[in-house]
Amino acid sequence: MAHVVNPDLVQDLKAFGARDIEACFNCGTCTAICPLSKDGVVFPRRIIRYVQTGMEHRLLCSLEPWLCYYCGECSETCPRNAQPGELMMAARRYLTAAYDWTGLGRRLYLDVRVELGAILGLAALVVALFVLLGGPMTTELTPEGGVQLNTFAPAHVIELLDWAVGGVLAVLLLSNVWRMHRWIVGGETGLKVPLGAYARGLSTLLIHFFTQKQWLGCTPGLTRITTTRWFKHFCIFAGYVTMFVLIVMFLRWFQTDAVHPVWHPQRWVGYMATGGLLYGVSNALIGRWRRREELHKHSHPSDWIFLVLLWLTTVTGILVHIFRIHGLPHATYITYVIHLAVLVPMLVIEVPFSKWAHLAYRPVAIYLQQVVQQARAAQAANPSPQPQPA
Amino acid sequence: MSRSSAQPDSGPASPRIGVYVCQCGGNISDVVDTATVAKTAALIPGVALSKVHAFMCSEPGQAMIAEDIRNEHLNRVVVASCSPFLHELTFRTAVHRGGLNPYLYEHVNIREQVSWAHHGDPAGATVKAIRLVAAAVHRLRHVEPLEEIRLPNHRRALVIGGGIAGMKAAGDLAGKGLDVVLVEQSATLGGRVNELSTLFPAEESAAPLVRRLNDDLQAHPRVVVLTETVVKAVSGFMGNYDVMVGPAPAAAGAASGADPQEGRHLTVGTIIVATGYDYYRPAEGEYGFQRHPQVIPMPEFITLLARASGETLEWQGRPVRRLGFMHCVGSRQIEGVHPPQPDGRVNDYCSRVCCTTALHQALAAKRRFPRMAVFDFHQDIRTYGRGHEDYYLRASQAGIMFFRFHGDDPPVVEPGSNGTPIQVRLKDWLTWGEEVVAPLDLLVLAVGMTPRDNRGLVSLLKLPVGADRFLQEVHPKLRPVETAVNGILLAGTAQAPMAIDETLASASAAAAKAAVLLAHDEVHLEPFKARVDPEKCVGCGVCFAQCAYDGALVREEGQREGAPITRAKVNPGLCVGCGACVAVCPTRAIDLQGWTLNQFEAMVDGLLSAPQPVAATNSNPVSDGRTH
Repeated sequence: MAHVVNPDLVQDLKAFGARDIEACFNCGTCTAICPLSKDGVVFPRRIIRYVQTGMEHRLLCSLEPWLCYYCGECSETCPRNAQPGELMMAARRYLTAAYDWTGLGRRLYLDVRVELGAILGLAALVVALFVLLGGPMTTELTPEGGVQLNTFAPAHVIELLDWAVGGVLAVLLLSNVWRMHRWIVGGETGLKVPLGAYARGLSTLLIHFFTQKQWLGCTPGLTRITTTRWFKHFCIFAGYVTMFVLIVMFLRWFQTDAVHPVWHPQRWVGYMATGGLLYGVSNALIGRWRRREELHKHSHPSDWIFLVLLWLTTVTGILVHIFRIHGLPHATYITYVIHLAVLVPMLVIEVPFSKWAHLAYRPVAIYLQQVVQQARAAQAANPSPQPQPA
Repeated sequence: MSRSSAQPDSGPASPRIGVYVCQCGGNISDVVDTATVAKTAALIPGVALSKVHAFMCSEPGQAMIAEDIRNEHLNRVVVASCSPFLHELTFRTAVHRGGLNPYLYEHVNIREQVSWAHHGDPAGATVKAIRLVAAAVHRLRHVEPLEEIRLPNHRRALVIGGGIAGMKAAGDLAGKGLDVVLVEQSATLGGRVNELSTLFPAEESAAPLVRRLNDDLQAHPRVVVLTETVVKAVSGFMGNYDVMVGPAPAAAGAASGADPQEGRHLTVGTIIVATGYDYYRPAEGEYGFQRHPQVIPMPEFITLLARASGETLEWQGRPVRRLGFMHCVGSRQIEGVHPPQPDGRVNDYCSRVCCTTALHQALAAKRRFPRMAVFDFHQDIRTYGRGHEDYYLRASQAGIMFFRFHGDDPPVVEPGSNGTPIQVRLKDWLTWGEEVVAPLDLLVLAVGMTPRDNRGLVSLLKLPVGADRFLQEVHPKLRPVETAVNGILLAGTAQAPMAIDETLASASAAAAKAAVLLAHDEVHLEPFKARVDPEKCVGCGVCFAQCAYDGALVREEGQREGAPITRAKVNPGLCVGCGACVAVCPTRAIDLQGWTLNQFEAMVDGLLSAPQPVAATNSNPVSDGRTH
C-alpha cells in the first residue's frame, strides 16, 4: 500500500525537541558514522525519513530510537547540521508519549506548565497528607540520640503507601510496554512469534536492564571506563535501583529510629547508593549546564525536570539521614516531608509518562529486537504454506 | 609516372634541400634508425645536407635549421618528426626565421605513422621513413613560394537575436569601438528574461537587468538595433559577409498596405548567433499535462506566483495548499521511457537551470505562503552554480519535502483520492524505494530548454548542429564560441542550456572573439586554395557541379581564341581547398596551391625511387648536427 505523505509529523517531532531535521538531505552520513547502527537496525537516517515523510505508523513500530545512546557522532558529522542525534532523542520522547495510552504523557511533554503544575499539585497533596495524617512530632530522642522518625511517619504506613503508588505506576508502565510490544512485533506484517522466542530472550532483557552494556558500543575502545558517559549513568542507575529496592522492599529495615554503627549495611549501602546518585546526577546537571558534549547541547524541559527532581530527592534523603542521626527532630520531619513531596511527583510523573520510562523501554527494545530476529529466522526456516504478498 | 618529367620543373634550378630527422627523445629513434634515415636521405638528388637531433622542436633544433638556411644556402627544408598537427607551424616559422618563404617546407610524420605504428619492425620502419622523406624531397623540388591570402575585412558585426545574449554581445562590441547591427525578430529586446520575475542567485529583478543591458546599447551610437527584423539571405565569407535583413513575417503582415519591404543589405565581417532557446513543451499526458488542469509548466507558475496577491495562492479559483515541483521534465530523458521528439531522439541532455529554478520558485512560494506544503520530486539535485546550492539548503531548511525517483521509473500523476484534485505516485528512493503518494493542489513541471527551431537560419548560415539539436561549437574547450564556419560565432543558449550568468559570459566571450576577428583591416587566410589557369580553362563548367561551397567558384566572362567563354574563377575567401574541382577538370586547368598535381606525382616518384638504407657508422654520435 502506498504511503500518503504527511508533512505535519515533522512539526510534531519538533515540538518534542527535534531541531533542524528538515535540513537533512538523506545522505546517510549519520548512519555510516553511527557505531551502533548495523544491518537490520539502520539509524538514524531511516527514522529521519519516517519523520520527514510523515510515516507515523512506521515510527511507532520502530525500536531504533531505543537502540541509540546519543554519542553525538551523527550530529557532529552531519553535513547539513540537521542534528540527527537530537532527532533520535525527540523520537524517544515522542514514543514515550505515544506508548502512554492515557494521553497524559503527551500533554506533560508538550507543555511545561502542565508538567510543573502536576508536580506542584502532587507535592501539595503529599504535604497535605502529612499535615492531616502525620504522627506526633516528638522531640524525644532515642537512646543513641537519634530522632524518632517512625513516630512521625511510621515505616509500615509509608510502606503501604509505597506499594499502593508503586502498584498503580507499575500497571501504567507495563500497559505502556505492552503497547510498545504490540507495535514493534505487530508492525511486521505476517510475523508470527513463537512463545519460545519470548522465553529465550528473557536473559537478554535482564542483562541489558542491569548493565546497559549496549551503551559501551558508543565508546572508542581505549577510553577509561570511569570517564565514559555509561559509567556516570551507571552510577545513577545503580544508586537509584538500590534505593528503590531498599525503600519498596526493605523500608522497615532501612527507615529505623535506631542509629546503627557506620559499618552496619543499612548505613554503608545507603551511603554508596546516594553517593552514586549524587555523583551521577550532579555530573549530568553540570553537563547540561555547560553544553559541551553533543548529548548535552540541547535540553528539553523534561530533561531538566527529571534531573532536578532526582537531585533534590537524593539531597533531601541525605539531609533526613544527617538530621536524624544528629538528633534534630524538626529539621528531620520537615526535610522528610520535603523529600517525599519531591519523590512522589518524580515517580508519578516520570515513571509511566516521561523520561524515567526509558528504564523499561530500552532493555525491552533490545529484547524485542532479539525476539523479532528469532521469529524471522524461524519463519525463514519454516516458510508458511500461504502465498506471500508480493 | 613519367608525366612529371615531361612537365617543366617549377622549382629552382638547383634545389638545396635540408633534411632534418628528429629522434623525439626515443619516441622515434627507439624504432627507426634515425642516423640511417639521415645518411640515406643525403643520397637523394637535391638534398644538400641531412641531420639528426634528439628534439628538433627544441629551441636549439629550430635554431640549427635557421642557421643552416643562412650558412648552407638551403632553399627547401624537410623535417621528419611528429604529426604536422603538433609542429608543422613550428618549423614553418623556423624556416621563415632563416629567411625562406615558410611554404618552402615539408613536414614528414615518422612518429605516429612510422615508429608508433611499426614498433615491431625497426628495419621496415626505417625503410618506410626513408621513403616518406624521399617523397617529401621530391615534392619540395616542385613547390613555389606562397603568400597568405589577404582580403579586406569589414569591421562590423551582426548579432542575430535580441535576448540578453545578443544585447550583451552587441554592447561589448560597441564598447570595443566596433560597429554592430543587432537584429531581433520581436518588437522588444530582452527575450525570455522578460518573462521572469526575480532571478537566482542574487534575487534581483529581471526587468532592471534587461533595462541596464538596453541602456548600454542605447548609449552607444555604434549600435544599430533593428527590431521586428529577420535575416533573409546571407552570402560571403569571414570579413565579407553580405547579409540581407527584412521585416519579420508577423511585422510584415502588420505593415499597412506598404510595399513589402525589400531587404536591406548589410556588409559585416562577423556574425554572432544568439537566437536563444525554447521551453520544452510536454507531450499530452506527460506527468498529467493537459489531462489535469492542475499540472502547469514552470513559466506559467513563475507568472502565477509573481502576480499572486492575498493570503493564499489560488489556481483556477481553488486555494493551493499543497504544491509540487517535478524536475527533469524534457531533460535527461531515456529512450523507451520518454516519448521521442519529432526527430526521433529523446532529450538526453541536462538543461542545467531547471533544478535551481525549481528550488528558487519552491522557496519563493514557501516564503510567500508559509503554511503551504511544498513537495519536490527529483532524480538528482544538480545545483551546480555558485550560490545555487544555497537554494537547496534553504529549501530543505524551510521544510520543503524532497522525493527522489529513478529516471527509468518516473512518477505518475493521477486524480487525487485524499481530498486534492491530483496526486503524484512514485517509488521514493530516499525511502528505500517505497511507494509514496503525495496529494497535490498544483504540480509545476520544471520544463527544460530545447533548441529553437531555426531551420531557416541554420541553412542560411550553414551552421553545424549537434546531436542534441543545439548549435555546435568547433571545440568545447579550445574554441568554445566559434562555429566551423569561419567568422560565425555563438552566444548564449542557442548553443546549449545556460543560466543567465553563463549566457552573459558566453556573450562576452563571443564579443571578444568577434573583436579579434575584426581587429585588422585585412583577413589573412592560408594560401592552400584552388587556382584556375585561364589559359587552360575551356569553360566546360564541370567544376561548378562539384564545388560544395557556395560562391567558392565564380563564373567569369572572357574570350578564348576570339569566342566568348565563361571561365571559372576561384573566390579564395570561400574556397576551402578541398580539391574536388581539381579532380574533375579535364584540362588540368585547376590546381591547388601548395598541393599541385605535379607535386603529388613527384611524391609518388620519390616513394618509388627512394634509395636503399645506408647503414650509419656506429661512431656517428647522435644529435651532433654534423652533415652526412
